[in-house]
Amino acid sequence: MEDFKTIISECIAGNPKAQAKLYQQFAPKMFGVCLRYAKDATEAEDNLQEGFIKVFSNLNAFRNDGSLEGWIRRIMINVSLEKIRKQHLLYPVEDVSIYDSVNFSDDVVAKMAAEDLMKLIQELPPRYRLVFNLYVIEGMSHQEIAEEMSITQGTSKSNLARAREILKKKVVENFGELNAHNNYTA
Amino acid sequence: MKKDKNLDELFRDKLLNYEQEPPAYLLENILAGAAGVRRKKKIMIWRVAGVAAALLLAFVAGWQLNTADREGLGLQVVVNEPQGTEAPDLAGKKTGAAPSVAGSEQLASGQVSSGDRLRPIQDTPAVKNEKFTAGTERLPAGYIQVASNEESGLLKPLKSILGLISQDKESVLVLQEKKREEVSDEVEEKTIDQQIMEMNHQMMVAQNGKEKKGRWLVGGQVAPAYNVNKTSQSEQYANNMLSSSSDAQVELGGGVSVEYKTNKRWSIQSGVYYSGLGQKSGNTGYSGGRKEYAFSDQGAAYFNASANIDARTSNMMMNSASGVIEFSGIPSGIVLGTSIEDKSLSSAVVVSEAQFIQNFEYIEIPLYLRYTLIDSRFDVEMMGGFSSNLLVGNQTFMDSGEGKTRVGRTKDMEALNYSGTLGLGFRYGLSKHISLNLEPRIKYYLNSLNSNSSVDFKPYSVGIFTGLSYEF
Repeated sequence: MEDFKTIISECIAGNPKAQAKLYQQFAPKMFGVCLRYAKDATEAEDNLQEGFIKVFSNLNAFRNDGSLEGWIRRIMINVSLEKIRKQHLLYPVEDVSIYDSVNFSDDVVAKMAAEDLMKLIQELPPRYRLVFNLYVIEGMSHQEIAEEMSITQGTSKSNLARAREILKKKVVENFGELNAHNNYTA
Repeated sequence: MKKDKNLDELFRDKLLNYEQEPPAYLLENILAGAAGVRRKKKIMIWRVAGVAAALLLAFVAGWQLNTADREGLGLQVVVNEPQGTEAPDLAGKKTGAAPSVAGSEQLASGQVSSGDRLRPIQDTPAVKNEKFTAGTERLPAGYIQVASNEESGLLKPLKSILGLISQDKESVLVLQEKKREEVSDEVEEKTIDQQIMEMNHQMMVAQNGKEKKGRWLVGGQVAPAYNVNKTSQSEQYANNMLSSSSDAQVELGGGVSVEYKTNKRWSIQSGVYYSGLGQKSGNTGYSGGRKEYAFSDQGAAYFNASANIDARTSNMMMNSASGVIEFSGIPSGIVLGTSIEDKSLSSAVVVSEAQFIQNFEYIEIPLYLRYTLIDSRFDVEMMGGFSSNLLVGNQTFMDSGEGKTRVGRTKDMEALNYSGTLGLGFRYGLSKHISLNLEPRIKYYLNSLNSNSSVDFKPYSVGIFTGLSYEF
């Protein structure tokens, strides 16, 4: 803890070595966060870069009584949200498609690699991706999401439902044979 | 529903703590970016400090000029002092030369008024008072030199501020041009979605760019201003002067302002403002070794202000802290007598109680520079600059306890003078175009408002300007 305090104070003073140390400590986890909110790795890299620059510029605002990881994660999420907000401000993705319910088994997802799940999330339309991430992964309520994204709670719920349907459909389309194969072998 | 929860949990378990090593080159970019932000912050701090220093310098220039002016006046006093010290001796031996009031030739004839210790004025011999012409004397050549230094002292800080503005403008133009070139190269490689997104982005940038272009603001302001009269006089003048009843008073001013925003931070402001100044004087209180005081009852009110009367026109003049009051005739209700020390007409003293109120009105045409320190819904701005002030009203009133009557004007008032202003502005946006302003300002007159070389009248005022402005 004491080490962290020293690193933080050196980062605030602009010491590049301390900044590199802090970055190496948190970068892999934060890159995972950025990947979930971005449409691809390139966008995630951009967000990670922008996020860490903000972290180093505003580190003096961090209070040592909280979790540094939580604080950095919040910055990464905010940067990702802001990026999507800017890009889709004038043409927001609305619920234009109706997806039929698919026959789906959770076992397929259980057997899938994290990288594959990440890819599926990245392929979601931006707003669905956001709502899914905030609700399912970050554990935010629909009310919190509605406030964060300036939408209604109903829209948030609807977007989440659509996101789930798309994910299920894609799982079945791309990884359905996993389940079939398992059933066959069972 | 339960199925959805299971699905959610599966995603959460696998992705919540998902880690992936980012590309190595990112660290370099981040460190460079963080260093850039630090540099920008430093530059910003230096820039704000620079602007503050420039405005302060401009204001200090005014104070320095003030000191220089006072030195000039000090020289004048030294020159006049031997005359002043010699005068009583001469007066005692010869005709009892009068204490100087306002330098001009005076001829005695006609009775003025009566009183306990009064005698008819025609008994006193005619006195030619050529010696004491300080009231209309001009300053020596050295004084003019100070005035020319004033110009260079004022122009230097102004030029440095204008240089900063033009640098800002150039850098913004270069960056905009660069961005336009980059965008045009990239368009061909984008997908349709990306192109739409880019277009949106460009539209936003264009919209923001429009906002950053020159904008105009017009507004109206009113200000209660607390004026403090800072005056000094030569010793000879002060010996025969009305005593100031108040050194400070509150006047209401205001006007219309026009502001042009050259970019996000800088703007230039002008307009037309009205402002008032005042000076109250009484003819009581002074006791400094005059013979009349020795004869007066102890503790009784003692009035001794010297007046100079032109027997031909019956015009009367009296010295006040802000200049010589020129009466249009001898005011009714005033009782005049002759001095024990000088029995000539020019040594007449006002022996009844009276208060004299000198009012000056000015139309100001300012030129201010403003710099936005905080740019948000609640803006904070720093402002500073100079005003040309045109004298449009010069009146003197007398209050003898029975009402206020206009009795004349103040002599030798400059028709045009200059003042320096420094202020801190707070602007709150009520809507997109209308904002509410609150601006405490301090104004200091750079040259004496009275051209009489024996008087240095440089008031300063603290005003709180409030008003609305419309932006387009």
